[in-house]
Amino acid sequence: MLAARRGFEPRRRRRREFTALLFIRLTGAFTAGVMALVVGFIAFNGAGAISVPFLTEYPRDAMTAGGILPAIEGTLILALGALLTAVPLGFGAAVYLAEYARPGPLVSVIRLGVLNLSGVPSVVFGLFGLALFVKTFGFGRSILAGSLTLGLLILPTVVAASEEALRQTPQSFREAALALGASRWQAIRQVVLPAALPGMLTGAILALGRAAGETAPIVFTASCAYTLASPGSVFQEVMALSTHILNLATNGTRIEETLPQQFGTALVLLALVLGLSLCAIIVRAKLRKGRRW
Amino acid sequence: MAEQNATETVVISARDVDFFYGEFHALKGVSMDMLEHEVTAMIGPSGCGKSTFLKLLNRMNDFVPGARLAGDILIRGEPVYGPDSDPVDIRRKVGMVFQRPNPFPKSIYDNICYGPRLVGVRAKQELDALVEKALRAAALWDEVKDLLGKSAMDLSGGQQQRVCIARALALEPDILLMDEPTSALDPIATAKVEEWIKTSGLTIVIVTHNMQQAARISDRTAFFYMGSLVEFGKTRDLFTRPRETQTENYITGRFG
Amino acid sequence: MTLSPSVPADAPRGELLHPKLSPTEQGVRLFFLLCAVSALGQMLLITIFLFSEAAGLFLPAPGDRAVPLAEFFFSLDWFPTYPDSSFGSAALVIGSLAVTFASVLLAGPLGVGLAVYLACLAGPRMREFLKPAVELLAAIPSVILGFLGMVTLAPFMQGYLGLPTGLNVLNCAVFLAVMSTPTVASLGEDALSAVPQSVKDASYALGATRWETIWRVIIPASLSGLSTAVILGLGRAMGETVVVLMVAGGAAQIPHSLFDSVRPLTSTLAAEMGETAAGSPHYHALFALGMILFLLTLALNLAAFWLGRHFRKNS
Repeated sequence: MLAARRGFEPRRRRRREFTALLFIRLTGAFTAGVMALVVGFIAFNGAGAISVPFLTEYPRDAMTAGGILPAIEGTLILALGALLTAVPLGFGAAVYLAEYARPGPLVSVIRLGVLNLSGVPSVVFGLFGLALFVKTFGFGRSILAGSLTLGLLILPTVVAASEEALRQTPQSFREAALALGASRWQAIRQVVLPAALPGMLTGAILALGRAAGETAPIVFTASCAYTLASPGSVFQEVMALSTHILNLATNGTRIEETLPQQFGTALVLLALVLGLSLCAIIVRAKLRKGRRW
Repeated sequence: MAEQNATETVVISARDVDFFYGEFHALKGVSMDMLEHEVTAMIGPSGCGKSTFLKLLNRMNDFVPGARLAGDILIRGEPVYGPDSDPVDIRRKVGMVFQRPNPFPKSIYDNICYGPRLVGVRAKQELDALVEKALRAAALWDEVKDLLGKSAMDLSGGQQQRVCIARALALEPDILLMDEPTSALDPIATAKVEEWIKTSGLTIVIVTHNMQQAARISDRTAFFYMGSLVEFGKTRDLFTRPRETQTENYITGRFG
Repeated sequence: MTLSPSVPADAPRGELLHPKLSPTEQGVRLFFLLCAVSALGQMLLITIFLFSEAAGLFLPAPGDRAVPLAEFFFSLDWFPTYPDSSFGSAALVIGSLAVTFASVLLAGPLGVGLAVYLACLAGPRMREFLKPAVELLAAIPSVILGFLGMVTLAPFMQGYLGLPTGLNVLNCAVFLAVMSTPTVASLGEDALSAVPQSVKDASYALGATRWETIWRVIIPASLSGLSTAVILGLGRAMGETVVVLMVAGGAAQIPHSLFDSVRPLTSTLAAEMGETAAGSPHYHALFALGMILFLLTLALNLAAFWLGRHFRKNS
């Protein structure tokens, strides 16, 4: 029977092989294509709007003219505020999970919590921020409320990246330090953390990019449609690039006229977020290559 | 070998030591004395408990979850696991060198200063002197004296292992424990480390998977099998006239 | 030494070794423990706030109408601001499910295909280029994808297909798929790469081609990991807000085709939360929607977690 099949087998097999692998290769090309299309389209249409005044002035004439300085400022402030919230907690939690935790119910519950936190939709973080920071704590719509909300949102990312960096430092470093009479904390602080820090910071930069690009969590905790001055305190509202695009594209009365502004803002946001991510990816690749353990 | 001037002072004494990893009985009633200025080798098939025993001597098993210990281990008469004994303090007096060279990703200089700095040595002059002394003692000074600022990770495997030895020696330990220190090294580097062990004059306890190595460098040898100390005696006697059949089977390679 | 016969001679004796921690060490440990627990605390706080604010819809302040659970879960009418208001979430839930499943029909095959390409076919140089590209694609802010949907696909569909609106399920699904494909691909690749080389070698040695090995050996061996990837992609699409807000159209109805517009949970939240007074029935109703969304995504996450554990156990 097998002998009989061998007659036609090769051609059919070869054809199927070719088709299947072609489809798979196409998905690769497709992804690269989508990436190029998105970036290219925004860059092509947005480049015309970019100018020095666009980056350094306040909006004018119902947003149809002027610049987006307050939105750039707001996004940077909110993202940095988020990082300040997430990094101390996230690094701390990662050190606990990687260095101190022993398998047990407590650790399983913490891990499950962090894992689920990373799956909570960003708009739910927004609701939570609204209920807790804006209303219960009385911060109002403010930089503080928005930064805290964004900080919680990126916390799982920071924890996961930091824990991975800590786990990649070899056990032998810890053993060597302990055998030389270091205490647990001394070994962590003097040997493990310095070795893991570049990796942890790379994770933080990736998280920073994510915070800068988010929209839903800040719509009702931090952002306003229009401001006339840079914020003077953390209790003030700010504009942000992401919400600015959303407002101009969906809420404005002159959507057609603000289109160049929309593309320009989108380009600035895309450049900021992809720039940060790309930096982190490159640094991470360099670190991996340079690592000798 | 330091056999001629051995002073017969007992430095480490183990009495009826039982050790468990959870339910696993890793050491069964081990009793042995180790003498000052001697090299004591511990041999046996993998999983026989020799490394576990070594790590008990400087409390490196403390972090293993579910580890239980019965019996006494004394270093110069002081209980290692007594209610008042401090593991950190013990590890400063009992140095350890590991299976794979494990220098920190720091300069050679900072690697060696790590221990002294932990005990509060800060003065540059003092540290310089300690580094030189430790590197000389580890027979590495001439090779690296001009590279002290270089990362220890850039050295060859044999040099790295001697940096680790120097790093342990910089704390001026009373005893040095070595856990298969040459298993990751090539023959030339192995010879250098062995040469150092033979001439150091320190009290050394070394675990080795290599019987020829035990025969070459140690004064006394202990043979472990399935968690028990089967035989312990002068190296020459153990390898030429083993008292136990298990020992004989192991050293002649007839092992089932 | 005599032991009673019931105690095996090997029973653990002796004292547990406890590393004696100095007060400083204990303090440091406690600090890190608190950091870790705070992450868990947030999860609890989020749950508590969502549920307690949502409860206000069903157990209202005096003077407001108590909305029956049946109305909230089964009614198709979402008229939160009408005088005789109605808070039915069914159309919104169906809207969410519609865009999510439509997007996964695209993102699933595409993401898995890409994962197979990265794990099994791409050469090292290609991987070095494509993996960061996938990561960057995942990093594109969703507001930009939503914006793209509005200015490209929407006018195209309206103009060339003669639809009343280009803001519909299909447009939304396409851009949600762009967003969740990287998630599926990178998690899927991890699963596929975990298949040991020896298994692949065995297949090649029996005369299988590359595709036959992928299809009959590698994919079955990593099936639970791939399912985890698709489920997490699904979760990401379901929770996405801004893309949906911008391109799903916003009509609270049951869609009859891919070209109908819908109003999923997330976009309802984002669009209406800004305009409602805190403490009003509408406010509580929005939190109740948030609760549904939270539970749906939580269920997906737990399913993925469970499958992932299963997958690790088997490999």
